[in-house]
Amino acid sequence: MDVGYHQDRNDRMLRQRVQDQWMDAYAPLRHLDPSLVLLALALSAIGVVMIYSAKLHALELDGLPTDLYSSRQLISLAIGVAAMVVAALFDYRYVRAYSVLIYLGAIAALVLVLTPFGVSVNGQQAWVSLGGFQFQPAEFGKVAVIIGMAAVLHERREQPGFVTVVLSLLVAAIPLGLIMLQPDLGSATVFVWIAFIMLLAAGIKARYLLVLGALGIAGIVAVVQLGLLQEHQLARLTAFIDPTEDVALEEVRYNSEQSMIAIGSGQLDGKGLFNGTQTSLSYVPENHTDFIFTVAGEELGFVGASVILGLFLLLLWRCLRIAALAKDHFGMLLAAGTVGMIVFQVFVNVGMAVGIMPVIGIPLPFISFGGTSLIATFILIGLLLNVHMRRF
Amino acid sequence: MSSHEPATGLRLTFLAVVVGIMFLALFSRLWFLQVLAGERYEALAESNRVRPVVIEAPRGRILDRAGQELVKNRPALTVSGDRRVLLDGAGNPRSDQAEEVLANLEVVLDMSREDIVERLTSRKYSPFRPIPIKEDVESDVVLFINEHREHFRGVVTDTLPVRTYPEGTTAAHVLGYVREIAPEELEQRTELGYKLGDLFGVAGLEATYEDWLRGEHGLKTYEVNANNVVQRALGNDPPVRGNDLRTTLDLDLQQDVERILLDGLRASRDEIHRASGSNLKSQAGSVVVLDPRNGEVLAMASYPTYDPSVFVGGLAQKDFEYVFDPENAHHKPALNRTIQGEYAPGSTFKIATGLGALRSGQITPHTTVSCPPVWGWGVRNWNRYHEGQLDLSRALMRSCDTFFYELVYNHWLKEEQQEADGEEIDEIYQETARRFGFDAPLGIDLPDEKSGRIPDREWKQAYWEQTKDRSCARAEEAAPGTYARQLYSELCNEGFVWRGGDAVNMSIGQGEVLVTPLQVAASFMAVANGGTVWTPHLGREVVSPEGEVIWTYEPTPTSEVPFEPEWLTEIREGLEDVVMEPRGTAHGAFVRGERPFPLDEITVAGKTGTAEVRGKLPSAWFASYAPADDPRYVVVVSVEEGGGGSQTGAPIARRILEAAFDLPITPFENQLPAATD
Repeated sequence: MDVGYHQDRNDRMLRQRVQDQWMDAYAPLRHLDPSLVLLALALSAIGVVMIYSAKLHALELDGLPTDLYSSRQLISLAIGVAAMVVAALFDYRYVRAYSVLIYLGAIAALVLVLTPFGVSVNGQQAWVSLGGFQFQPAEFGKVAVIIGMAAVLHERREQPGFVTVVLSLLVAAIPLGLIMLQPDLGSATVFVWIAFIMLLAAGIKARYLLVLGALGIAGIVAVVQLGLLQEHQLARLTAFIDPTEDVALEEVRYNSEQSMIAIGSGQLDGKGLFNGTQTSLSYVPENHTDFIFTVAGEELGFVGASVILGLFLLLLWRCLRIAALAKDHFGMLLAAGTVGMIVFQVFVNVGMAVGIMPVIGIPLPFISFGGTSLIATFILIGLLLNVHMRRF
Repeated sequence: MSSHEPATGLRLTFLAVVVGIMFLALFSRLWFLQVLAGERYEALAESNRVRPVVIEAPRGRILDRAGQELVKNRPALTVSGDRRVLLDGAGNPRSDQAEEVLANLEVVLDMSREDIVERLTSRKYSPFRPIPIKEDVESDVVLFINEHREHFRGVVTDTLPVRTYPEGTTAAHVLGYVREIAPEELEQRTELGYKLGDLFGVAGLEATYEDWLRGEHGLKTYEVNANNVVQRALGNDPPVRGNDLRTTLDLDLQQDVERILLDGLRASRDEIHRASGSNLKSQAGSVVVLDPRNGEVLAMASYPTYDPSVFVGGLAQKDFEYVFDPENAHHKPALNRTIQGEYAPGSTFKIATGLGALRSGQITPHTTVSCPPVWGWGVRNWNRYHEGQLDLSRALMRSCDTFFYELVYNHWLKEEQQEADGEEIDEIYQETARRFGFDAPLGIDLPDEKSGRIPDREWKQAYWEQTKDRSCARAEEAAPGTYARQLYSELCNEGFVWRGGDAVNMSIGQGEVLVTPLQVAASFMAVANGGTVWTPHLGREVVSPEGEVIWTYEPTPTSEVPFEPEWLTEIREGLEDVVMEPRGTAHGAFVRGERPFPLDEITVAGKTGTAEVRGKLPSAWFASYAPADDPRYVVVVSVEEGGGGSQTGAPIARRILEAAFDLPITPFENQLPAATD
């Protein structure tokens, strides 16, 4: 009789199956990339400290609590981490399945911002106020465009031709158009860049990319020539190109100069945390949002600024690695889009602070004060963790 | 990776390269900004943050000999503006708010927009401090601005030390004035720490003692934020007040002198000039009072005068036109006539001629010379009567011109002989005059002292060379046979010749002789003290802000007059007789009135002078010293178009001596014309 043997074998196979089921259930967690989480948290923590330093003196002068901004950023960070966990939890292929809904939701929010629900700050209708919370739909729009384009390009991965290009560009163009209505030039450029990088990663033929590049340049010329930009937006750009021109650009130039003075005066090892004079005496405007990098540059010096840029490089490397390891086109495109978004925002934001890019308002990911941007970026990190965990 | 075609890997590698390039760009730029250019940006950050504010040092005071204030400082309320807040680089309002502030300033300061912008953009002010828009503002304006700060953003009110003159116009010419340093002066003096906008003494004692009087700027540094709001003080280097100058002036005497001079000029205008029959003009005059023992100037007055406070905060056009008088409508109030007025000295010069005669050996103190009413080729004495045989002291007392003509003419003949013989020409009269301090600035501690002129052969040669072309042209123009033709032809051809007429004119202080009133005073100082021409001076000592005397004037002689004792006695006797003897030309002026000058207690020596000026009434002179036996005061009065020395000069000098000796000052009355000269 071989019952005993078979019984034994059956038992073993049964145990094995149960074990495998358990293993399957927790398998993704075993393949988590903890370094990506740690890098994102480290950058966010630095951001909270920088925000605290940036506003410390000004808030003190106004008799307000000195942690007014940093504590709000901490709350956003908590929400962001929660959102990251959620984004990592369910298989990202569900995200692809629901990509249309997600995309339409983001579009709806972008429309909402232009309605009376929208709040205008500094001449930009960029905020939505709902139930006491304010958020910037454009930040979620970036996430939606990455997901939407990844979905379209994944579906049509066998036909990387003209129709695919047009379809995926349409996905990017609709929110871009709505954002231009706010108008938010900075965010709009991010969309253009994301679209370009994702088409590149998706394997669109080189000639289409060349044509797109040419069209893009023609488009920029047209926008400037046809006066679609408001004067202050144009001024910011031309101030960068021709710093000697003497018009109302002085303010823009002042920002840029003060920013460079702050960073340059930090020298090699900085003036020490909370000791930056340009920072504490408010010489650099918006130094908790768009010009946050000046705080790091001035107080932490070249060493500190390089550490921050180094952390970004490591993070981007982890993201690129995920793109390379992704088991499907969709996952790879999510990662490539995220890399595109983060590298562009870092380059433009820091480049603006050091005077090699025009002054356009783009937040520094993880670091600039602003809850929506932080949460949206953490959602993307969560998605990438998801792609990494489920790469087999 | 398994699901991707190999091209995906290539494309992601490309993306990685893009990321790498972008970060490389950022790192290189950061390296440049923070490491290569870091120090420059550090300096820029410091200049952002640190606001140095120069604190003006008050100038030192100018005091009289007893320490009474002649010039001091007062804080002037000033409204200043911050250019960086109010104006952009092109001089236009920086913002709507700045536009509103400028419009408000126009109203409260009563200034035009152009004037305000001009002040704000003027390069003479450091951009690191608020720029004064208007000085000496009414206190209610300052109060209004401070109560409505929200309408005056970028505007601050401040006090700056400015010069103030507690005694009004007293000693205006001596004190001088300050104004903002001119660019060319600044260029020479940057090393001394001057900067644009600094006050700088340009006239009078303010100019001479500039280095002592000016203080050292203080510097306060503040930390300011981006809105220029001061956060805290970083450093404070307080200003050092300038040193005080204690002068030789006697404030009470100075004020008496100025009042007596003015009253005397006014009183004399009621009098008639006998020769012309017209009223005396006496429009300008001056007085010097010296201490003959050391050259200290006790009082120095020049009329017309001006109010030195018009220079504070910049001279207005109408004040400029009065003080500097480019139209010649106010007799040049800026001129200090005691050192800058050059006049023919008239008979006051006879002490020099007299000593010249003694030195030449032509006379001794006992020699007498005839004093006819007409001499030689028809030149007249002032008196129509023959005065008989006179010795030198009598000739001085009676101011006999012909006495001196005779002597000087005889010496001129001798000089001509020396010239003909090829010997050295002995111009002893001119040499003697120079020993008295004439023909060169005495070196008083005031700027722009004139030298006067003692004519001699050398001067005449040089003058002829300068003027002969004009004289020759005039001779050509004049009709043949006329006097003008003859005169100009002579000047053209022989103008260099030192003629007997030149020598004769010089002997009585006429012709080409020019002196300043101070030089006359110096010559009488030498007689009074026995031969030393002390350099006249006003600075006595310099006192530091702590009260320490850091500089004291040491009397120094300008020259020595070679008196033999009996010569000195003879000249002194003559000068005393001028006042003391009833026949002396100034006796009347001293004894007239209910209360004569107490000549029996205080002896006075002096000399009247009446200097003819072509086309004008004569200048009146009176030079004197007292007490004659122990001189403490030299008083010289000079009045332009004042008629005669005894008529206008001596009465003023008498009252000044009354003031000097603390006697009741006799009021001027409408006097009858006195014996002239």
